[in-house]
Amino acid sequence: MSPELRVKPDWLKPLYPWEQHAITVNGRTMAYIDEGDANARPVLLLSGNPTWGFLYRDFIGPLTQAGYRAIAPDWVGAGYSDHPHNDTALTFAHHIADLVSLMEQLRLRGFVIVGQDWGGPQGVGAALQRVERLDALVLMNTWLFTDYIGKFHSSPRPWTTWHAPLIGQFFMKRHKILSHAGPSITSQRGITETEARAYHHVFDESDSDHVVLTWPRTIPMREGDRGWDDMLAIERRLPELARVPTLLLWAPGDNVFTIEYANRLKELLPHAEGPITFDKAAHFLQDDRGPDIARAIVEFLDKTVGRTI
Amino acid sequence: MKFITPTAEELSYLRADPLLWEQELDIRPDVAEVIEQATGIRAGRVYWRSDHDYLYSLELADLGHGRPAMATIYGHWDRYEPRPPEHEIDVDLLGFLVWLAGITESIDPSDIERVADFAHKQTGHVWTTWPEDSVLRTPEERFANLPDFPYEPHYVEVEGLRMAYIEQGTGDPILMLHGEPTWGYLYRHMIPPLAKLGRVVVPDLIGFGRSDKPVADNAYSFKSHVRWTRRFVDSLDLKRITLVCQDWGGPIGLRVVSEMPERFSHLVPMNTGITDGSREPASGFLSWRRISQRASDFNVAAGIRAVLSRRTLTDEEAAAYDAPFPSKEYQAAVLNFPRFAPIRPDHPGAYDSRLAIEKLRTLDLPVLLLAGDKDPYTRGGLDVLHSIFRNSAPPISIKDAGHFIQEDAGEEIAEHIRAWMAATP
Repeated sequence: MSPELRVKPDWLKPLYPWEQHAITVNGRTMAYIDEGDANARPVLLLSGNPTWGFLYRDFIGPLTQAGYRAIAPDWVGAGYSDHPHNDTALTFAHHIADLVSLMEQLRLRGFVIVGQDWGGPQGVGAALQRVERLDALVLMNTWLFTDYIGKFHSSPRPWTTWHAPLIGQFFMKRHKILSHAGPSITSQRGITETEARAYHHVFDESDSDHVVLTWPRTIPMREGDRGWDDMLAIERRLPELARVPTLLLWAPGDNVFTIEYANRLKELLPHAEGPITFDKAAHFLQDDRGPDIARAIVEFLDKTVGRTI
Repeated sequence: MKFITPTAEELSYLRADPLLWEQELDIRPDVAEVIEQATGIRAGRVYWRSDHDYLYSLELADLGHGRPAMATIYGHWDRYEPRPPEHEIDVDLLGFLVWLAGITESIDPSDIERVADFAHKQTGHVWTTWPEDSVLRTPEERFANLPDFPYEPHYVEVEGLRMAYIEQGTGDPILMLHGEPTWGYLYRHMIPPLAKLGRVVVPDLIGFGRSDKPVADNAYSFKSHVRWTRRFVDSLDLKRITLVCQDWGGPIGLRVVSEMPERFSHLVPMNTGITDGSREPASGFLSWRRISQRASDFNVAAGIRAVLSRRTLTDEEAAAYDAPFPSKEYQAAVLNFPRFAPIRPDHPGAYDSRLAIEKLRTLDLPVLLLAGDKDPYTRGGLDVLHSIFRNSAPPISIKDAGHFIQEDAGEEIAEHIRAWMAATP
């Protein structure tokens, strides 16, 4: 029995016309779009908090027209996927295992990981479980390590206060401050109201914002933190990616993952190309500079691994 | 229900997946009370292992009610791996619920099964066995006219799957386990000579040969192969077993030995090993792992042919190795095997193998180690086995024999086994 997704509203269809598929991963429904030639190289487009596949809407056309297969899943807890009401279903390890399950059920080989924000560590974490099948990696405003924490994540104004016990329940869950305002207040190009709505309508139901809070609480700050061991496990295995063509694309205007994060990634993955920087863009650079970034990715893939597996 | 205390190390390799959570446990105070009595706790966590060898836990909170007031049941899976099949989880959860009903006076345990059955019939949910279309069975005509393999197949059911084996001869069992990507056919040159010594039993692992083949990748794990093989030994009630094993037959068979050593009398590992990820894997194995993990299907006979040393396969023999796999949909077991080998200490299965190795070290079973000198995959594995088994001689090197030593030197190694068993009562 194939699971059913919430119905896509009519107003969203012009902006996000692609068919959404549903698959059960670890007992929960994961939504994804899957466009392009089924035999072409799969490119997994991975978003983070609090977004979903919509963030990559400018990437689907360029990638499929260049001959790639574009797959944009929504993490369990976000987008059109299930929004579990139990926080313990939304750990770092669960997100990784969910993506492994998707890759396994779709039988992906020679895939490319494109990750921003939590899409970085969760995507790489999953790819490391099937590392022989990973052919290229594109990282944007994200991190894969425990040894550098920028000002935003460590600052009580607003971040660590926003997600503190009970305070987080009030602001993030009861009042949906991050899911409803995140992409619009950071937008550099000025997103339309419909676009802002596209990001947050998936959190319309009450008590649906669990992942918005579990994600910040998983950011590893010090040993013993919930996300520490998983991030460390990824960091320790980064040398295995030395053979994987890697591209760093960065919006230095992002006050969350500043350019220092890119520099640290470059130290850990010295073979990586970049960071290629994009101005007029902040944390959600895919939204601010979508077509330009998509073009950079296609160029990089064409010259490194190509569209055939 | 036997509650256990897993080590912190084991838990670090697993993730806790919430399966059932109850915020009103003491809506029925008697249920809350029997849970407290049976677990010995009002708040905290107890663990148990299911029949599938999966770890589960029950977490309780008392909320100051003076009895357990909230409960969550977790399954603990390999940390980053997809869960096992849902019906296995249903079977395990139902096992817990039947136990709970059994200790609760107001609930009849047989009602749990009745309701599960009703729910299955009415809704198509609550599977207690493999759902339709989740298992393939290779048509028997694929196995017509196998050269040198005239044996009648027998079948036992393990966990709802048909597991095939052939047997020949009488006496104490000689259990021969194949590995990747073969089936019992691999042992055909050894069956006639060894059938003179005892009852030769040659099963096909689940996913191979004439055995049933679940289609989903997550149906297979090192753990599940060990479990299925252990159940096979159990259902045939084999005792005083001589285990002959090669490739994955080794790690699987030896873990079964570690779990039920009293059933085994002699061990003959050939071109195999068991590892907990603490030593560097052979480079030959790593390249095989890479090739196999990128493949979407696998040309089994060509793969075997490529690494034979003394002889090649006739076309009929090649067809016999391809017989189990009419198409790539049948190959989930073949394609998944290489990634189960623990190549890091935190690899899924590494911890279980470490425990098995510790157990094997304590055994006095006589062990004969046979090594094909042209095998690139398991070099070093047999030396490790020699260091594990106190009652083993150094591996005997078989000249001009590759990884599939049973093909290259079947009669020769059968003779080694015969002579050694005669000298080793």
